[in-house]
Amino acid sequence: MEALCQFFAIYGSLVNFIGINALLALSLYLTMAAGQLSLGSAAFAGIGGYTAGILTMKLGVPFLLSVAAGSILSGLVGLIIGLPVLRLRGVFLAIATLSFGEVVRIAVLNLDITGGAQGLVGIPNLTKTWGIYLALAVAGYTIARLRHSRIGWCFESIREDETAASAMGINTTYYKTLSFVLGAILAGFAGGLYAHLNYIITPREFGFSVAVDLLIFNIVGGIRVWYGPVLGAVLLTALPEILRGTGVTAGPIRMALNGLILLLVILFLPNGLVSIFGRTGQEREKAPVDAVPEEG
Amino acid sequence: MDLLAQQLINGLFIGSVYGLFAVGYTLVFGVLDILNLAHAAVFTLGGLLALWLVETGGLSIWLAFPVSVLCCGILGLLLDRVAFVPLRQRADSNFSGLISSIAMAIIFESAALGLFGARTVRFPAHTVPVHIWRWGGISITSLQVEIVAISLLLMVALTQFLNRARAGKAIRAVAENDRTSRLLGIHVDGIIAFTFFISSALGGAAGILFGLYFDSLSPDMGRSIELKGLAVIILGGMGSIPGAILGGLAFGLSEVLTVAITGTSNLRDAVAFTVLFAVLILRPSGLLGRKKMREA
Amino acid sequence: MHNVQRRVGMTFSLCMALIFISGQVFAAAKEVKIGFALSMTGGGAAYGATQKNGIQLAVDEINAAAGSEGIKIVPVFEDDASLPQQGINVFNKFINADKVSLIIGPTLSNTAQVTDRIAQQAGMPVLAVSNTAKGITEIGDCIFRDSLTEMVVIPNTIKVAKEKLGVHKVAVFYGNDDAFTKGGYDAFKQAIADAGLEVLTEQTFAKGDRDFSPQLTQIKSKNPDAIIVSALVEEASGIVSQARQLGIAATVPIIGGNGFNSPALLKNAGEAAEGVMMGASWNASSSLPLNKKFVAAFTARCGNPPDQFAAQAYAGVYIAYEALKKAGSDHKAIQSALGQIKDLDTVLGKFSFTSGRDAEHTPVVQVVKGGKFAVFGE
Repeated sequence: MEALCQFFAIYGSLVNFIGINALLALSLYLTMAAGQLSLGSAAFAGIGGYTAGILTMKLGVPFLLSVAAGSILSGLVGLIIGLPVLRLRGVFLAIATLSFGEVVRIAVLNLDITGGAQGLVGIPNLTKTWGIYLALAVAGYTIARLRHSRIGWCFESIREDETAASAMGINTTYYKTLSFVLGAILAGFAGGLYAHLNYIITPREFGFSVAVDLLIFNIVGGIRVWYGPVLGAVLLTALPEILRGTGVTAGPIRMALNGLILLLVILFLPNGLVSIFGRTGQEREKAPVDAVPEEG
Repeated sequence: MDLLAQQLINGLFIGSVYGLFAVGYTLVFGVLDILNLAHAAVFTLGGLLALWLVETGGLSIWLAFPVSVLCCGILGLLLDRVAFVPLRQRADSNFSGLISSIAMAIIFESAALGLFGARTVRFPAHTVPVHIWRWGGISITSLQVEIVAISLLLMVALTQFLNRARAGKAIRAVAENDRTSRLLGIHVDGIIAFTFFISSALGGAAGILFGLYFDSLSPDMGRSIELKGLAVIILGGMGSIPGAILGGLAFGLSEVLTVAITGTSNLRDAVAFTVLFAVLILRPSGLLGRKKMREA
Repeated sequence: MHNVQRRVGMTFSLCMALIFISGQVFAAAKEVKIGFALSMTGGGAAYGATQKNGIQLAVDEINAAAGSEGIKIVPVFEDDASLPQQGINVFNKFINADKVSLIIGPTLSNTAQVTDRIAQQAGMPVLAVSNTAKGITEIGDCIFRDSLTEMVVIPNTIKVAKEKLGVHKVAVFYGNDDAFTKGGYDAFKQAIADAGLEVLTEQTFAKGDRDFSPQLTQIKSKNPDAIIVSALVEEASGIVSQARQLGIAATVPIIGGNGFNSPALLKNAGEAAEGVMMGASWNASSSLPLNKKFVAAFTARCGNPPDQFAAQAYAGVYIAYEALKKAGSDHKAIQSALGQIKDLDTVLGKFSFTSGRDAEHTPVVQVVKGGKFAVFGE
């Protein structure tokens, strides 16, 4: 028991960050499940985080209500942005969402109500560890269920071949927008939880590099099953602390290791680290590889 | 009047640097349909390597420039071999290529940090003699003229090469259709490697010119130009060389004119990214891109 | 494992031998752990690196002089990657795993806003050696800092510029996406209003920008008496050299704050830096013997002269050492010993803490003269 207390004293915050990052990774996963590559998740988390933070701090709105409000607003923005943007594909979509993210970041920097570069300071610490993990469990469960629903099948068919899906009578615009908006809602929710974790949020915490990090979590973990992104978020968020614990010196080496892990995974484990563990027949069949041997 | 003239000169100058950076970016995209996000890291390494050759190696800049450009070209070959060749046969190679280029970008940046340190450094004073011309309130430096000249020269040479030379025509053939090219007896893998060589060499050249003019080089100097470079190639039309040049100039001018017209600079980046966003929505093929919206 | 045992065994027998020879128990220097949370990677990497050099120098000097009576500092360095998230993890580790006596850092104010609250809750004394944002020491009575804020440094600079240079109309240029440069801007704005100067135009840039000519062209067209700049040195040197290139006359001084006080400005802006004026917390050319010794030792060891970040970090270790000597390793005792520090000789000058645990020593107004920092008016 004492050891557990000691562990939490040292790694409690890390445990919280892992949970938040897993939620954010899942929000991107929702969008990628329908084959859409978005770099806007960090901005949606920012919209949710800033909205929720401002509501609790300046208007005294109860915690859950303000997190919900942030999440809904993020979803609405997702809808407005998603409709025109989702006509684009692949890299073009990624760049469009990226420029949306930059505009959000610059807006936050220039507004007074968000505290500009100094950040929004003084948000009460209301997020609890159990709350984060409860949210993660609910999100994970829902997404796992979703996969076997009509929505899940539609997402998957769009990801596999959008033209064919459309030819089969699936309303691709509807489902693509749905996946985008669901992702925005979850990202906004995670952002709201994050805002109430550390007393302060700053624009930089929702920038381009964070969006790329979320993408990396998904790739390293694997984007074929919902627990892939969670695994990626857990491992990569904990990695700096694991290295710290094993005494790897600070600096470039740690950074290089991050890049190396990503490179090795994309080269040799196209379905992410999850494919090392539960490799079911179903997964194997869906591997996006046609010529490269599975383990390289 | 002087004010506007000076601003136009500023815009043309920075625009030509953006253009040179973006040409390499767009070349790889045109051939492989892959967004090579490690391009900015090569840009950084090119600048830092040239500085090292001048400062530690005691070379003159006229020698250091080609040596460093050559090294960047070789780095491009390495990039292709490690991060792109193994993925080429995959169905989702443009997506996984994007990811592996992110991995290489992280590795390159950490290498720059480890080799050259985190400090912002510059070329020794008078590496290139600088003369300043003034007419009334307008000023132009000889270095600016040289940089614009070198940029234009490189870009024209590249265009001529692609239109006239055998290898250049082969690059265009592969860009058009690699299967047909293979049937025509073109050594496709060699041509792709060669494309990476040229692209990275140009990226390195842009890094050196950038470092020479702005007197500041650091391992993270590629970050801000990375996003701008993306905007430039979208603006010009993905894969189009003249488009990248035009896009660079247009982007440089749009930045400068935002400042000149509004009188403040808060909105500079916001306007640039909003334009990018609008172009993607309204005319995703860019100014000079192929009409067909490409799947990437 | 085996190896460790053998080494312990050897050490033990060596100790026994020593005791046997000298006939008395050997008094070893007392060891005190200090945690250093620095940004070694990410956006603040350049600052973390120079801070670490300053700290290492101070620690080595103190440990070499410790002998058998004094205290030895055991430094624990951790990288926060310039991210608040990782800063929190570092602080939790220092507090709960390493159980350090005192934490010095973190490098960036944004990170400190978060981490210092954790330390405050745990009753862990923190000495900030580079944070200049508002509200850091107000987090609680465990948080001290030896870095003078822009609020202290800048009003004096503006006053001198107005009185000695006859500056009346100014242009302001600042980075609006960074806590430090934005905080500096707020300080300048206040000081400009207090001094009754007129602001002709305000321009902004973003961190990582290298091209400042559009904004400077705009500024030039307004013909200001001086250009007031809030920037860190990476941007500052570019701004200074591009301003001169664009033909803004050398008679129009460029005025900056703490961020300008770095040898990198002299190196990167070269001749253009001549005449640049800045308010600063540390004067590199100060003739204090302590400072001369520090500059010489640092330059010999690192191959480049120290900057203000290194000087403040170096001074921070000595300030902490002063408190540790009196207080041992008890947190409460260290906290009260820090609070009592008065007129301590440091490289920054005579150093005291205010009742609000902020630094109190005389700021300087410097000007670049002949490629060196000189005190203005000397």
